[in-house]
Amino acid sequence: MLNILLKKLIKASAGRSRFVLAVMGLSIALLLILSAVQVEADYDDMLNNKNNQDSIANFLVINKEVTESSNSASTTLSEADIASLKKQPFVQETGLLTPSRFKVSAQSVSNRIPFYTDLFFESVPDEFIDVKSSGWKWDDNSTYIPMIVPNMFLTMYNFGFAASQDLPQLSPELVKSLPIQINIKGPSGTVSYIGKAVGFSDRISSVLVPQPFMDWANKKFGGNQNTQPSRIIIKTKDPGDPVLVNYLKVHGLTTDSDKTRFSKLRKTVDIIVNFSWITGAVMLLFALLIFTLFIQLTIASAREEIVLLITLGAAPRQLQRFLVKQFFPSNIVITAIVLGVIAALQVWLQQILQGQNIYLNPVISVYSIVTAILILLVLWIVNFTTIRKYIRQA
Amino acid sequence: MQIELKQVVPIPLKDKFMQRVSDVWNSNIIFKDKDWIKIKAPSGTGKTTLVHMLYKLRNDYEGTVIWGNKNIRDIDDKTLAEIRQSSVSIIFQDLRLFANLTARENIELKRVMQKPFYESDVIDRMAELLGVAHILNQRAGLCSYGEQQRLAIIRALMQPFNWLIMDEPFSHLDQANMRKAAALIAEECTKRNAGFILTDLDEDDHFTYSKQLTL
Repeated sequence: MLNILLKKLIKASAGRSRFVLAVMGLSIALLLILSAVQVEADYDDMLNNKNNQDSIANFLVINKEVTESSNSASTTLSEADIASLKKQPFVQETGLLTPSRFKVSAQSVSNRIPFYTDLFFESVPDEFIDVKSSGWKWDDNSTYIPMIVPNMFLTMYNFGFAASQDLPQLSPELVKSLPIQINIKGPSGTVSYIGKAVGFSDRISSVLVPQPFMDWANKKFGGNQNTQPSRIIIKTKDPGDPVLVNYLKVHGLTTDSDKTRFSKLRKTVDIIVNFSWITGAVMLLFALLIFTLFIQLTIASAREEIVLLITLGAAPRQLQRFLVKQFFPSNIVITAIVLGVIAALQVWLQQILQGQNIYLNPVISVYSIVTAILILLVLWIVNFTTIRKYIRQA
Repeated sequence: MQIELKQVVPIPLKDKFMQRVSDVWNSNIIFKDKDWIKIKAPSGTGKTTLVHMLYKLRNDYEGTVIWGNKNIRDIDDKTLAEIRQSSVSIIFQDLRLFANLTARENIELKRVMQKPFYESDVIDRMAELLGVAHILNQRAGLCSYGEQQRLAIIRALMQPFNWLIMDEPFSHLDQANMRKAAALIAEECTKRNAGFILTDLDEDDHFTYSKQLTL
């Protein structure tokens, strides 16, 4: 009852248009800030989510720098080198690249597309391979050797070699269907196998064969050459990490530098996120200012009534509580609506990205909710202090 | 809760009052619990000033006003509101109703401001008694002074109090209404075991005063 009477006395009609303006400003500000938080959270989620890690995280193949004075022995990685690298904070996983210790050549089995090339193989543990193919396995009974070929090789063939040699261009599907004769030269003569490309990859720039095959073949055909690895593959969250770059430099290591695809995405996300939250923060400030003015105006226009209410015994605290109840719920409603919009956008984004095989949590991040609560807290403090200040001045 | 005045003089009127003899200004007086005090005050002697000082509406005076055992200068906003809600009620000379609320809403506001002392039907009973029942749903701003004065009286009686301060409470009333209003006030004060301080221009016999002072 008291509130009904107070509502009649302290009408908030004085600045309706300002109020609408403040509500709009606040909504947009919240939308910008919360989407910035959500995008950042999504991004973080993508980096840490097991399902996405392989498609997004970066793999770097690291080896020692080749200089004029180095030879194949001096570019091998020692146990200590590998152990030290494994300990670095930017390294999530490491895998050794095993090179073939035997001579390999490949040739066409068909006369239509004749080719012959000397070759070498490498292998890495399967978790570092981004090609998912049912053909990627090998054991003693296998009828062919599966291979993963760098995309670059096919591109070089199609646009460089084929054109100059009057040979037909090959699609990836066609290459996969072609059997290739693999000749391995061992101590007891040359043995021929059938090889098949089961996929193409950009991750490692050599022809990959399954690890079991490599182990078996190295044992069978390999000489007693140095078997220390000279290349190692690492998985890292952020290839642009300055700590990583510095570490490589200090230790005389080098890597394939063209790993900027993801770094660029990172930069773009950063720019958008920063722009969004800075704009949001500025708008929030203005919205707060307008809100404050609106409260001030309402109290000023009801000044006489407030003075008389206090004269009659109303406690300033009673009036404050009443006014906070008048102004603050709108903030809660706005925040709830904006969170709802963000939640809807998140579901939408999740569905779009699912089409691109990027997994995103369809539920909004707890960080967004925490941010919303924090902003609400700020709003409450601003509401409350403004009201207290102007009630005292009345 | 007794009210005590110690050497109180309003600063703006200081020079004028120091030359006059007064029962209140610049002297020590105690209004004891349950005392019914009449303060006779010709125009210009600072009657309303005194009422406002007693009610802690103004601070521009020398000396001390003590409620119970507290100097009212030291009472904070929160305690002041509590006292005004439960111990000290007031009828202003200038009535001070909210012009935009109806008569009933004006009274109701004071009833629900604290834990209600009376049920809302008491409003109707008192309005009936003072002859303002028919205007209860009218905007207070549209009521005559006589009606507003009776509404202000009813409003002051809606709350619990130990002291009722009245500043010329019958100035706009005729003899018949004056008697009815006085009877109601006396009844309500007796019911609460409360004292009152009434200021007026002239002598009167509306109440059995325990003390009569001249300002």
